[in-house]
Amino acid sequence: MKRLLLATAMLLVPLAAARAETVLNIGMAAADIGQIDPHRATSTQDKPVVSWVFNGLVRFKPGSASLESLEPDLAESWDKSADGKVWTFHLRKGVKFHGDWGEMTAEDVVYSFKRAGDAKTSSFAADYSVLESIEAVDPYTVKFTLKKTVPAFLGIVANYHGGNVVSKKAAEALGADFRVKPVGTGPFQVTEYKSNESLTFGANQNYFRGKPKIDRIVYRFIPADASRDLAFSSGELDVVYGRQDQRWVDRFSKEPNTVVQALKPAELSLLHINTTMKPLDDLRVRKAIAYAVDRQQLVGFKGPAVNPPAVSVVPSGYLGTDEKAELIPTDIAKAKALLAEAGYPNGLEIKVVQTSLPTMLASMQILQGQLKKAGIELKIEVVDHQSWHAQIRKDQSGLVYYAAARFPVADVYLRQFFHSDSIVGKPTAVTNFSHCANADAEIDAAAVETDVEKQKALWKTAQKKLIDEVCAVPLFEGLQVWAYKTDVDWGYKLDGAIHLGPVVTELTTKK
Amino acid sequence: MIRFVIKRLLVAIPTLWAVLTTVFILVRVVPGDPTMVILGDQASEAARAALREKLGLGKPILAQYIDFMTQVLHGDLGRSLATNRPIVDDVLAVLPWTIELTLASLVVGAVIGIPLGVLAAEKRDGFADWFARIFSLAGVSFPAFVSGILLLLAFSVELRWFPVISTAKSDDWFGRLRALVLPSINLGLLMVAYVTRVTRSGMLQALGEDYVRTARSKGLGRRLVVWRHAFPNVLVPVVTVVGLYLGVLIGNAVLTEIVFNRPGIGKLIVTALNQRDYTLLQGLMVVSAFAIVIANILTDLTYGLVDPRVKTA
Repeated sequence: MKRLLLATAMLLVPLAAARAETVLNIGMAAADIGQIDPHRATSTQDKPVVSWVFNGLVRFKPGSASLESLEPDLAESWDKSADGKVWTFHLRKGVKFHGDWGEMTAEDVVYSFKRAGDAKTSSFAADYSVLESIEAVDPYTVKFTLKKTVPAFLGIVANYHGGNVVSKKAAEALGADFRVKPVGTGPFQVTEYKSNESLTFGANQNYFRGKPKIDRIVYRFIPADASRDLAFSSGELDVVYGRQDQRWVDRFSKEPNTVVQALKPAELSLLHINTTMKPLDDLRVRKAIAYAVDRQQLVGFKGPAVNPPAVSVVPSGYLGTDEKAELIPTDIAKAKALLAEAGYPNGLEIKVVQTSLPTMLASMQILQGQLKKAGIELKIEVVDHQSWHAQIRKDQSGLVYYAAARFPVADVYLRQFFHSDSIVGKPTAVTNFSHCANADAEIDAAAVETDVEKQKALWKTAQKKLIDEVCAVPLFEGLQVWAYKTDVDWGYKLDGAIHLGPVVTELTTKK
Repeated sequence: MIRFVIKRLLVAIPTLWAVLTTVFILVRVVPGDPTMVILGDQASEAARAALREKLGLGKPILAQYIDFMTQVLHGDLGRSLATNRPIVDDVLAVLPWTIELTLASLVVGAVIGIPLGVLAAEKRDGFADWFARIFSLAGVSFPAFVSGILLLLAFSVELRWFPVISTAKSDDWFGRLRALVLPSINLGLLMVAYVTRVTRSGMLQALGEDYVRTARSKGLGRRLVVWRHAFPNVLVPVVTVVGLYLGVLIGNAVLTEIVFNRPGIGKLIVTALNQRDYTLLQGLMVVSAFAIVIANILTDLTYGLVDPRVKTA
């Protein structure tokens, strides 16, 4: 009996201690953090974290994924020259970096953007190649001069990717360690890192918007889907990264005290067609593929709540997306006729390399079934994810199924997936798997067009050309799925998550 | 004894060398490289090439191999390609967790498996025997991730006795012990299965021997006959199985660690593999191979303890 009492007491002591502070437990589908250096953070598990630790000159309104919601962050106000090439930002005064790294000044801003523009220290250097110069006019004023105008310049100085402002002193002093000991100005700071286990954040008592209501965030890495779900059900997690799966959403919506949300930005799934490989170099064959794909059936299978149908070759909701683009409809008879016309009356066979990641593989298998109806046989070779990444960059797959979200401007998506500079195999290669170059002129012209309407028209033409040439078949979009307990109050309306996860602000709390 | 250990360690050197070389070649034969993890999929090919150069992946394979071997000989496992942290730190951070889990599973395996095996042999074809045989068959054939999830559903979600996330601060001993229960049962079930089977068949044989009949005919009690006369003869095969399956246990620890969210070598290996973190993977293989060699030596030494006829000197 004594022992039992002792055991109970030991159980209760930590509980009592925990009640004194507000802790937000978040479960993420990853084995470990990638990097929290904001200029390097590219994976899904890294991005939400960056938004808790850093600020930009402007920020996406918490809970939004739209460029139209940008509002002042470290900069209180800004002016733009008439030609749109010179931008002057007036910084907020008295903003302190985490720890003892001092006040944030123009010097840190200049350093940050130079760092973000350097390929040696940044994964987003290309976004900043447009900067002619950046200078600190005085400790609270920064002037950017551009080589040419860019679509949505405020977007690249926002709290996203390279736009996050780091402490110059800390980044220089910590060097390589900065990636797990980042120093920013945000509401939370990293206090403990356990590799393959968790990252703990403490409230930044000096946060310029006020002291956060949450004392601690424990961000746990739980790669096994089932375990993550169970930890949420057992109450060990307040917030959990969900699955892009209708059944998951349906099941979790029924859990008590649980909110499930599917958030933008959408990850667009496209079926890229390699236009240089035989027989895919024949437009009729590519059109036949497009006619054979049944978008509605795919969406029906994946679930419309998390996977709405694609609208174009650019994700919906981006600046410049043609939301009503004319897509090729499903028509098996037409697909067969086109194949016959191209000299394949008995159908044909295409070699495809696909990743073993379950959700991506399942989509490809549905496509395999759909294309078979038109006489197109997909020979799918399944390889592990990293091998797949390597092989599709070596033209080893006729069709490349690729899902991606990018900065919400049509320019970025079009440039990375359909501009000739990005064709795989080139030194400047990014992810142009189709080898299409037919929309280069429009993409380049739109990038420097200052008239917003003309710019949108150019992007629209580019999308039409790419769809007509069947460089890629738009399939569906995948939203970011998160579940959280009803006692979590974000402190804002959660409609979108540009950082792929909810932002934890100074106002976020647990009721 | 010391000479024996040294001899065994020397014999292990070619084994370790072969393991390392195989791992070195294997990780480089599979396509994919760590730049995808470090730079993400938006980086240009030029940036990737620059990083590969910086990480030393641009060097000829042979030069990389020589570098790697020299490093290992100096006891330096290098730094992780993906995180740039010293590999020794990463390994040491999770090693106690893996050792703790493995030992606890061994204990579970022995404490349940041995009595069950003995009982099954004694009551051959009786209820206890059938139970033990079905139980051990289930233990071997049940994948660790299925049994793990069942355990979690029952004891963590429904009963709330144990946490789903089996991590606790290292100074919180009670919490750590509580977090260890389910994973060690899960991993231990496999061990129970093997131990039960070997104990049962060994005991069946021993119980049929002349000396057991003699002991019985002398009027010795059941307990004395089974545990003092028959059982010691079963210890050698049991120790062999335990030693042999220590490797299997480390392999299965991967699944258990993932399902129960425990840090550990197994989980680290999977991360390293997914990230194509060659150096980390190599480092982990050095540690794992070494652990198995040590386990084998310990097994051999234990023979001497359980069977006086075996001389280790």
